[in-house]
Amino acid sequence: MIAANAPNTCQLLMGNEAIARGALEAGIGVAAAYPGNPSSEIIGTLAQAAKELKIYVEWSVNEKVALEVAAAASFANIRAISAMKQNGLNVALDFLANLNLTGVKSGLVLVVSDDPGSISSTNEQDSRHVAKTLDLPLLEPATPQEAKDMTRWAFELSEEIANACLVRSVTRISHARGNVTLGKLPDGEKRARFDISRPPYASIAATTPVKFHEKLHQTLSRVSEIYERSSFNWFVGPKQPELLIITCGSGWFYSKEAVDILSKEDSIGILKLGTTWPLPRALIERYLLQTKKVLVIEEIDAFLETNLKELSADLASGKTWTFYGKASGHIPPCGEINPNVVIKAIAEIVKVNYVSRGADYHEKSRKIVEENIFPRGLQFCAGCPHRTSFWAIKDALRMDGREGLVLGDIGCYSMGLMSTGFSQIKTVHAMGSGMGIASGLGKVSSFGFNQPVIAVCGDSTFFHAVIPALINAIHSQSDFILVVLDNAGTAMTGFQPHPGTDMNAIGASSPPVNIEKLCQALGVKVIVADAYDVKETTQKLVDLLRDEGKPRVLISRRECALIRAKREKPLYKVQINPDRCIGETCGCERFCTRVFKCPGLIWDKNTKKAKIDEAVCSGCGVCVEICSQSAIVREANE
Amino acid sequence: MSDHGRDPLNLIITGVGGQGNILISKLLGEVMLEAGYWVTIGETYGASQRGGSVASHVRVSKRTQYGPLIPEGQAGLILGLEPVESLRMLGTYGSPETDVITNIRPVYPMAVAIGEAEYPSLETIKEGIRKLSHEAWYLDASEIAIGLGAPLLANMVMAGALIGSRLIPVEEEKFKGKLKMNFEKDRLSLNLRAFSLGVSAMREQRKTFQSERSRKTTARKK
Amino acid sequence: MGSKACQTLVDDVIKRDLCTLCGACVGLCPYFITHNGRVVLKDSCDLPQGHCTSFCPRVSLDLEEINRAIFGIPYSWQGVGTGKAIFVVRSTKAKIKARAQDAGAVTTLAYFAREEGLIDSAVLTRFEDKSFPRGMIASRKEDILACAGSSYVAAPTVEAFNRGAREDDRKRVGFVGTPCQVLALAKMKGSAEEGRNPIGKLQLVIGLFCTWALSYPGFTQFLQGEVSDPVIKYDIPPHPANVLQVYTGKKRIDISLEHILPFVRPACQVCHDLTAEFADLSVGSGRGEFLEWNTVIVRTPRGMEVVEGAQKKGLIETREIPKENLTRLERASSNKKKKALSNIVQRTGRFDDLLYLKLKAEIAKQLVAE
Repeated sequence: MIAANAPNTCQLLMGNEAIARGALEAGIGVAAAYPGNPSSEIIGTLAQAAKELKIYVEWSVNEKVALEVAAAASFANIRAISAMKQNGLNVALDFLANLNLTGVKSGLVLVVSDDPGSISSTNEQDSRHVAKTLDLPLLEPATPQEAKDMTRWAFELSEEIANACLVRSVTRISHARGNVTLGKLPDGEKRARFDISRPPYASIAATTPVKFHEKLHQTLSRVSEIYERSSFNWFVGPKQPELLIITCGSGWFYSKEAVDILSKEDSIGILKLGTTWPLPRALIERYLLQTKKVLVIEEIDAFLETNLKELSADLASGKTWTFYGKASGHIPPCGEINPNVVIKAIAEIVKVNYVSRGADYHEKSRKIVEENIFPRGLQFCAGCPHRTSFWAIKDALRMDGREGLVLGDIGCYSMGLMSTGFSQIKTVHAMGSGMGIASGLGKVSSFGFNQPVIAVCGDSTFFHAVIPALINAIHSQSDFILVVLDNAGTAMTGFQPHPGTDMNAIGASSPPVNIEKLCQALGVKVIVADAYDVKETTQKLVDLLRDEGKPRVLISRRECALIRAKREKPLYKVQINPDRCIGETCGCERFCTRVFKCPGLIWDKNTKKAKIDEAVCSGCGVCVEICSQSAIVREANE
Repeated sequence: MSDHGRDPLNLIITGVGGQGNILISKLLGEVMLEAGYWVTIGETYGASQRGGSVASHVRVSKRTQYGPLIPEGQAGLILGLEPVESLRMLGTYGSPETDVITNIRPVYPMAVAIGEAEYPSLETIKEGIRKLSHEAWYLDASEIAIGLGAPLLANMVMAGALIGSRLIPVEEEKFKGKLKMNFEKDRLSLNLRAFSLGVSAMREQRKTFQSERSRKTTARKK
Repeated sequence: MGSKACQTLVDDVIKRDLCTLCGACVGLCPYFITHNGRVVLKDSCDLPQGHCTSFCPRVSLDLEEINRAIFGIPYSWQGVGTGKAIFVVRSTKAKIKARAQDAGAVTTLAYFAREEGLIDSAVLTRFEDKSFPRGMIASRKEDILACAGSSYVAAPTVEAFNRGAREDDRKRVGFVGTPCQVLALAKMKGSAEEGRNPIGKLQLVIGLFCTWALSYPGFTQFLQGEVSDPVIKYDIPPHPANVLQVYTGKKRIDISLEHILPFVRPACQVCHDLTAEFADLSVGSGRGEFLEWNTVIVRTPRGMEVVEGAQKKGLIETREIPKENLTRLERASSNKKKKALSNIVQRTGRFDDLLYLKLKAEIAKQLVAE
């Protein structure tokens, strides 16, 4: 659908799909990324169109390599796109901080999709600062249509300035679906060639960096002029508004609706900017001069707000403005914004009393929700091998008795922090950080440290960032165990393939890199266990814990239950025999539901027995080993 | 019968991760776009697969495109695949004019499954919905879906109920056409059956006045 | 109560070095396990009361109550506990004597009880070479024989009773074990915990005299350094020998007790029971002219039934115990009680806090002073 040669038709597209379409309309030849919510669908969508449109799409091992792969295409005359979340930008930053100086050839667009409110991240970070830091042009789409059009245009801008362009999205743009009118898909052959006669794409100490840096500033001035004429900036409202809202990205729809709900179209104007770095000064000055009060709506940081204040101080107008926004406390400093936040801010500034639905309804609903509604905790899916791996780790560490600890990493298994993973994990930072920290803790025994150190990582994480840290730990002879939770895919973000799987982004087969062999080549002891075989995995860990003083790797392997369920029937039909279940009496105390906590097991308060929730149970059969009364039975499905 | 000739139509489709409310909202959105409306759908993702609440905000208008989040109190209609989620959405986005169509089969959160918390009784949930809505209809969509041998089809049953209610500008035939374009053979016939059962279940309810009405409240907003 | 039973066991018993590793708390539920010579709380149970604290011999121990329940008479802090008769006994079976400890009385009496159908299974302790000894439940003669001999290392044998006695095809179970294990079984008998307590199947308890037990893996690791060949038997000859005899297939190695005593479990220092006072039969080594015999204290009618029956069948020889042997034994037993009490008081610093022991302060004071 995304590859449809159907210009001028209208489709319901997600922001990320629209970005992908924009890239296709710009005629890209290469796309590379590492999965990261809320950016994953960009490359995911392009992968679906790859065969038909004969483009190369790759799930790279990490974001730095992804950007390098895209840049390579650009150096060789092929337009390319890379996409990542805010943390991915951090990983790619070293390359980007050199690429901005060397420049590119064909259009190169880097899309970064931030996660305001940190719905699925370990941090909250506004990527736009990188544009300012690295002197790169920044664009922020405010609608799904604009996501497409902006992305397509960004390639033109990129080629105009021979440098990368940043398109910054957020969850509410990336994942919102809306009407998008398609443009044309270009035809024409692509021919890749690296011109070795031109100056190299390189910046070397003392001679070039400062020169290139100065040149970059000049380029940015040129971009600023181009931005003055951009159709991605627009204004709605009265000529001399009582209050001027300046907004970008997701703030546009919220501001528009807020003004509408408060019926203030006649006194409040909205300047929506799509080009947010560098700022189009003359354009902004024109609107600023028509008002005294400015409210800035954006997420996450006061990026636009601060830059506007800077700009306003520079204007030779002699005027001053009252700026409202995050600094004034009208907009919360962190977290995601929404229409209610904007309505409240405007109402406060223009002194209007707004009640969303009647004071007593509000109070009534608050009370009903408080009395009856619980938040839903995050938990591992029924049949998740991470649950059983953490169970084995917990048992092994308790048996060991020396207060051993687990260092975590990024993935579904990060939930090992929570009770669903038996609260085993004690640190989580960035991709590969668990192994790095383990490398360090494994070297402090000279200060009396004797606690066993276990780092956990996923199979995808292993390739992304763990390998260098593992090498460090091996070479420094650190005392640790690395448990690789191998569930055959990058599960958390949507089951994308990675170098350890036998498939690539477009579904063709690809030689997998074998984790055991790699570890063995590094000279470290490797044991493999079946994550579902809790007894065996626990024993293997107990044995490894005793084998101290050196690096050890345990691969706890079992396919993700969700991936498997898409392909195959459940392994077993699982049932509980109520006659054998002793429930909450001494000897059990709801062990399977209360302690093991698989959502496929429910405690029935009426019968005082555990039972299987057939709608949820994945049929993995592991709970049969957990029950000490042999009350849970399983029958293999043919 | 409430008249949802309001513009924009603000519909929330809510449930628990894995129930498939995102698929339903996408299909409905496409049908309405093809019928000439501006459609915007906002969603929560990420950790939602692993047991969290998931809501789609569906905004439909003839006039202009709206943002992906419905402001507080502005939901006109809530379609719930799970009863507590319906009540939760009503709490934040509801008003005395909001209508609710909900499945009554609970999805237990971890706290309840392990015996540490109580799931509110259906009566309590219905009472809460009654107090906070204009009209409400209840279906055991999960039961219907289980009857078809596929518990996951409860979402399609509810889609049928929604369209059968005639509270949104979606024609039955157009939606069925959308299903035909998205599913094949066995899966298609199952989904069509689930859908039709939802439509007739809803029609039954409205015909025999089994809807749970709340007291008529203040005059509707503009 | 507020606190959890399992946490009481961890805080008041295990963490205070009072745990005897009898195994009474293990095998009843998934929460407690034994591993590497320790009792480990693997997961936390929420219940404020449970079998674990009811059965543990180091929680709320009322010796008076137990003695009255079993024998109908008050508990005495002097002597070798309640009993009907004391003999010296030896097995007539050469095969058993070759394999067993001392004169093979325990193994022979267990055999007999099994043959006669008094029991259909026996819970015994099994050690192999220098491994962590564990309890096992056995019905076959060869398995009973295989468990003959002591390794002097504490084993959680009651765990094997908890697990084994639950099996449906076991209806009459016997038990051979140390005083702390026997004490746990006695507590189990009197426990108010209903339903799933397997104690109803227990038919015969043979207790073993015990001065102390060694800890695993400490002692075993030490032994690895001294004896590389597999060990088939251990023995401690009576005072004044002062050695641990270690028999491998090829030879006997004597290790001075001075090297062994550091591995005695701290929990043994507060143990008052030398002769397993709540068993049906209590068996220990003989001395003097009966050095090659066992001393057997018969305490209950069931115990007498077994001894007399085995004798009638010609499986054992019995003699009256010589007076000086009995006097020595009584003195040793009384000394152990006194030592235990003073060690407890030394730990707490007060006579009215005797840890788990339910005993009036005045009585304790008196006993320690004697």
